[in-house]
This record gives sequence, C-alpha cells and structure tokens, in this order.
Amino acid sequence: MSAFIQIVIGGLLQGGVFAIVALGFSLVYRVTNVVNLSQGAFCVLGAMGMYYFQVEFGWPILPAALAAVAASTAFGVLVGAVTFVPAVSRLPGSSALVLTAGLLTFFIGVTLVVWGNQPYALPPFSGEAPFVIGGVRVPTQGVWLAAVAGALIVGLWLLLAKTALGRALRACAENPLAARLMGIDLPRMMLLSFALAGLIGAAGGVLVAPIMSLQFDTGQFFTISGFVAVAIGGMASFAGSIVGGLLLGVAEQFAAFYVSSVFANTLALLLLLVVLIVRPAGLFASGPARRSDVRDDARIHRAVVRLEGRGAIAFALALVAVLALLPLLPLPGGLLSSLVIALILFVAVLGLDVLMGYAGQVSLGHAGFMAVGGYAAAILATSYGWPPLAATFVALVLSVVCALVLAAATQRLRGHYLALATLAFGLLVDSLAVGLVDLTGGPSGLVGIPAFEVAGFAFDTQARMYYLVLALSVVLVVLLEGGMRLGFGRALKAVRSDQLAAAALGVDVGRHKVIALCISAALASLSGSLYAFNFHFLSPEIVSTTRSFEMIAMLVLGGEGTLIGGFFGSVVLTLLPTLVQDLAVYKTAVEGAILVVIVLLMPEGLFGRIALWLARLAPRRARRPTGAVP
Amino acid sequence: MTSPALECRAVSKSFAGVKAVDDVSFAVAPGSLCALIGPNGAGKTTLFNVATNLFPPTAGEVRFFGTAAAGRSPHRIAADGVIRTFQTARVFPGMTTLENVMAGAHLHIRAGALAQMFWTGAARREERGLAAKAEALLDMVRLADARDRATTDLPIGAQKLVEIVRALMAGPRLLLLDEPAAGLNDRETAELSALLRAICDAGTTIMVVEHNMSLVMGVADEVFVLDAGRLIAHGSPQEIQRDQRVIEAYLGRPQTPASEAAP
Repeated sequence: MSAFIQIVIGGLLQGGVFAIVALGFSLVYRVTNVVNLSQGAFCVLGAMGMYYFQVEFGWPILPAALAAVAASTAFGVLVGAVTFVPAVSRLPGSSALVLTAGLLTFFIGVTLVVWGNQPYALPPFSGEAPFVIGGVRVPTQGVWLAAVAGALIVGLWLLLAKTALGRALRACAENPLAARLMGIDLPRMMLLSFALAGLIGAAGGVLVAPIMSLQFDTGQFFTISGFVAVAIGGMASFAGSIVGGLLLGVAEQFAAFYVSSVFANTLALLLLLVVLIVRPAGLFASGPARRSDVRDDARIHRAVVRLEGRGAIAFALALVAVLALLPLLPLPGGLLSSLVIALILFVAVLGLDVLMGYAGQVSLGHAGFMAVGGYAAAILATSYGWPPLAATFVALVLSVVCALVLAAATQRLRGHYLALATLAFGLLVDSLAVGLVDLTGGPSGLVGIPAFEVAGFAFDTQARMYYLVLALSVVLVVLLEGGMRLGFGRALKAVRSDQLAAAALGVDVGRHKVIALCISAALASLSGSLYAFNFHFLSPEIVSTTRSFEMIAMLVLGGEGTLIGGFFGSVVLTLLPTLVQDLAVYKTAVEGAILVVIVLLMPEGLFGRIALWLARLAPRRARRPTGAVP
Repeated sequence: MTSPALECRAVSKSFAGVKAVDDVSFAVAPGSLCALIGPNGAGKTTLFNVATNLFPPTAGEVRFFGTAAAGRSPHRIAADGVIRTFQTARVFPGMTTLENVMAGAHLHIRAGALAQMFWTGAARREERGLAAKAEALLDMVRLADARDRATTDLPIGAQKLVEIVRALMAGPRLLLLDEPAAGLNDRETAELSALLRAICDAGTTIMVVEHNMSLVMGVADEVFVLDAGRLIAHGSPQEIQRDQRVIEAYLGRPQTPASEAAP
C-alpha cells in the first residue's frame, strides 16, 4: 500500500511539472490558436539560469530563483517579440507551428552551447532529507513544487477571471478579430501570453531542477510531455491542463513501476493517441469554440513559384551533370559521404514536400516513418538474411500500412491535430526503438547491417552509394514533378489552400490527404532503409524527433512546394557542420535559427527565391497559344 | 416528368435556437435561371450551405435531380454535377489564374496519378486540352492576360469571375452562385448577366443568391424571396417587383402619417 502511495506521490510530482508546461501551452493556444512547441525549453532555460545564479555566482535561493525566472522570461520575450508574434499575426497557422518547432530547436541549441552536453542537478531548496508521513516519503522539493504550482495556478486564474487585462486576453481567445475591433492590442496580448507561459515554464524548471537531472535537450522532453498532458486534458482548458498533467505523471510512474521504465513513454503516447482518437478535443472539451464558418486562413498568401520551360530543363540537366561529375574531382575527405547522407535525407524531404508543401499537412514525426523503414529493413536483412532490396520493399509496405492506420485513426482530426498526431507517432516509434532492445538493439543501436545490394552487386563504397542515391533522387524528382505539375498536384494544392473550395469542385479532401501521407511515408521509409544500409548501423538517435524537425528545416530552407528545393536545404544543413567541424556545437542552434528566420522572412525558401529571381530576370516569353506542358 | 434540378422540402436550419432557415420548400426547374433574394440575414447563404451539405439541415430534405443530398459529402455532391461558388471569392492562393481555372476540371481528369507521374502521352495531351479549355474560358471573361498572374493579386471582381469560370470548368449541371455580382461595377454586372444567360442557354441550370436587383430582374426566369428564414414569395421578376410582402421586406412597412410627420 505504501509503495502504491509512494508511486502516486512520485507521479504527482512529475505530473506537477507537466501540468505547469501544459498550462503554458494552453495559455498561448487560447490567445493565439498556435501550439507553441518551444514551451518546454523555458523549463530548461529557467533551470540553467538557476544553475548560474545559485551555483556559479553563489546567490541565495530566493534571489537566484527570481533572477533565473526573470532572465529566462526576458530572453523569451525578446525572442518571442521578434519571431513568434509577427509569425502568428502574419503567417498561416501551419507556418507558425513550424516556427515554434524552430524556436524549440534554437533554444535547445543555445542551451547546448552554454551548458554543454552533460546533465546537471541542482541542490534542493530545503536539504536532501524528505518528510516522512506514515512511512511515506515526500521530498521537500515536492512541497515547494506543489506550493508554487498552486500559487501560479491561482494567480493565473485571478488574472484571467478578475482583471481587465485578463478579460482582454480572453477576448482575444474567443474572437481575435472582434477583440481587435474593440481596440485590444492583439500583438501585445499575444506577447503577454507568450511571456506569461515562459514565466510559468521557467518557474517550473527552477523548481524541478533539484529532483530531475536536466540537460540541454530536456526541453524537448518537457515540450512533449506537456503537450501530451494538454492534449489529454483539452487544449483550451486550464483545468484540463492541470488534470492532464497530473494524470500523465501518475500514469507514467505506474507504468514505470509495474511494466518497465523503458515503456513509460510508450504507454503515455498510446494514451495520447487513444484520447486524440476518441475525444479529439480532450477530456475537458470546454473553452471557446471558434466559429468554424469564419475563414481564418485568409493570411495564406504564397508567391507563385514556378520554373518551367527550357530554362527549367537546362537548370536540371546542369545540376545533374555537376552532381554526376563530383566524385571524379579531388574532394576533401568526408565530403562524398556527407553528400550521400544529404541525398538520402533528400529522398525523405521530397516526401515531406508532397505532404507539407503540396497538400499543406504538417508532419512533426516524419522520422518515425524513417525509423520504421530503417529498422524493418535492417532487421530483415541482418537477423533473417533477406536480400536488402526485398527488405527495403517490405519495410516500405509496412510504413505505408502505418501511414494508413495513422490516417484512419486521425481521420476526424483537422488542422493542428494531424501535425500533433504525427508528432505522437514519431515519439511512439522512437520509444519503441529504444524499448524493444531484443529487436532493435535499444539505445546503443543495431550493428552489422550489410551494404545495399541489387542482384549480387553490392553498393559497398561511398562512390557506388552516391551514384545509387543520385540516380534514385533524379528518378523520384522526375516522377513527382509529373504528378505535382498535372491534375494530382493541382488537387493537392487546392486542398492546401482551401479545403472547402476544393471539396466544392469535387476534390475528395480526405482521400488526397491520405495519398499524400502514404507517398511521404513511403519515401521516408526508403530513406531510412538506405540510411541503415549506408551506415551499417542504426540507432534511435538517428531517427528521433530531432531528425523530424531537421527535415522540416531542410524543406523550409530549400523551399516548400518546389520538390527540388529540399535538395538545397538538405545539402546546406548536412554539409555545414562537416565543413566547419569546430563549430559543430552550434549546429542545433543554427538549424533552429535558420528555420525561424526562413519561415519569417523568406517563406519561399532558397530555391523559391532563386526561381522567382530568375523569372523576373528572364524576358517575358511570348504567351504560348496553348498551355503546353514542358 | 423530369425531376427538379434542386428541390427543398420543408428545410429548416437552426443555430443554437436561432432559426436561420425556417420550413422552406421550393423547386428549381431544370434549364432555368433563378435567383434567391432577400434582405441581409434572410438565410440565403445558409440555405446554400445546407443544400450543398456543408452542414446538414435540422429538418427537411434536399434533392438534386431527384437524388437525396442527405449523407453525401460536399465532394460527392460536386461529383453529381452540382457546383457552387462562395460569397467571398475563394480562389486558391499560390496558384496562377490558369491553374486556378484548371483546378476546376478535377472531376474530369481521366489520367491517374501514376500516368501523370510517368509523363504519359495521354496525360500530357489531356493537360494540354484542359489548358486550352481554361484559356478559352478566361478569354470569354476577358481575363486572358491574367493567365500567369497569381489570382490573389487580381482585383476582387476579377477573382469572382475566375471563381465562376473555375466552376464552369467542372461542367456543372446545376451551378449555385453565391452573390456573383458583389464587388462588380455596373458594366461588369451587365457582362455577368449576359454570361449567366449564355451559360443557362447552353443547358446549365443556374441559381444565384443575389443582392443586385438589376442583375436579378434583368436575367432571372424565376425569383424566390427569403425573409427571416422563410420563403415569402416566388414568381417572375415582374410579379416579385409588384409583390407587397417583398416590398415590405425590403423597404419596411408603409409608414403611418404620424411617423411621417415626426421631425
């Protein structure tokens, strides 16, 4: 019995932090209608501030805690003011979501630069000795945590319910346009919600630092757990956030105790998927229901990026010729290997472009399909001696089946929920890759994967592998270019920009989304298989959520909806850290910053910019009498 | 006896207790051009949305060419040949005007995704045919010059025309137009009237929701009048213009001498 209570107490402690992060999610979501994925990073920023003020500078606890919270909130507000608020005001929701993924990556990267990659634990506020009540041990830090969390919740409730400022915040949540017409400064309210959420998160981080060891990427864990909590509880409900957080914490502790700590995450994610499917709005489906007949995607305005005709063919041929000749040149060591990786990732980014750039559906867990493809092919080839080609094919089919199941499960989910369901899927696969040690080798990875081989010809040198993936990329681009230029691509683009108008023209919106998801899953799977056969090794880290975010960064950097753009994105982001080895520690921060800056300032991406620029340079061609397809 | 192109039987739609459409019954004869008019908030657009199953009616039944609309998703209704436009022109951003119009042909594309991916001759021929048809339609509304421009960069009147042309690309049997003349000037409205007449004469049944009386009275065969969710009159434009209830709905009740005398 006391073990049971002990687990509940542990769960409530952990859940308290989740609840605090969830509260931040909910607050920002209610005011901006955007899921701010960078939320969890504030916990780590707060903890890092605490470490410096308390341990390095030797300040007493209270001033150190206040200074840490103030400093990380200030940093957050600064970043939020120049990135988040403009993005939410100007960009479609999906871009804003991608931007917050970039912010999370950026914050993680900054923490890595400042803190390095070792874990930190801080001393508890009131010593190590726990309270003992009737044989049950309660860590003193837990009392602090509960007290401060309670104070924060009451404070927030008072602010929202009892003050004019709170009324303004709630008005923004209910109807942003009307609030604006009433003279409420919407951007200021957005920033305020972002700052408050940052403050809450930082306070949570300061409190939890003594009972959890934190490191640079723990922010991602907090974001994910907080998000799972808020999704279970109900995105628009404070009570839901708190209950969801506590529920999740307790559930994870029980899972860790009675099943295995390895699968605690898996179970939490299954719980989330079940809630998302059964009750998409969460357990506490209260809060403002946004009028669904009001179009809120009026902000979508994309430049028309098209490179066509002779110019496009010449450009493509020149690019392929240069790439084909590259291995013959004296390249610096490792460059060819990096190019192989870039091209392998490009295959997955191509699929992501079909899904995100054309069909307009954000996937935050695309590495999940890479993992399915990589592990399934590698296991079939190593443990069962299958030929790599057959293994790759079977893995691809398995990934498409996963995509279909995910699509069926999320059929009723629209908008952000699909993105979040894919995030949950990616994390689920990740946790299985870590947990199923017998099958996947667990965290240390799967070794001894053979080289790729077709009919006895082994692609066992980097040059051979390079030509294989180059040829594959060319074939895929040509095929997809055909599909995307003609009716199928037009239908996807119609779905992307206006589902209602698309349906009114007879486009089966749901079916097109599913097809796009299947294509992208198949390509991600192919990419994962090739990755495994190229490296002869596969570990969960290679196909984690960080990878998912990285692929989004590649796509956005290169240019969405251009197919070829992803190539430039993946080459730049793959080669940068290898070319500048000394700066490798900055890689994550730079990736995050690139993602944020591109989403904000150059939504058409590198290739899109080049194409628009060329189109302007080229003398206006005489209009062809018929719209001949090049 | 052919079944009506659109038939509403005792259709009602309530939003949280507010009856936006209240027990409306009417039938649109195939091949006719009819108009649905009424003051602001009369429930015209709601009736359109209910008819195309954007949301189901609270009570009653909608039939297109004899087939019940109930349970059919919007894209199925479109596949049955019922194509609608929207009150605010919903052209696709990020597409050129030509692409926007060609997107209307979605239901008629024969080449499968695979044929398109492999650049088969049939798929490319079909694409050329569609492009030629789209260009001809754009020519008809004098928007050929806008072909390669982003549609969202065009003036709102032009966007409304693109939306109508896009709907025509779908080859509708019944065309439902929601305020096509909103944002058009007088000359453009006159052109639109001629265009609608031509489309109708070519065999497409048309129903327009409209505020613009000159369009409605000049071109419609039959006019239905909604007020506060109820159908209060229907008949030829001449009959409607003389109908006392319609005049009241639009202009208010005849004023009493007392109120006229007030300062």
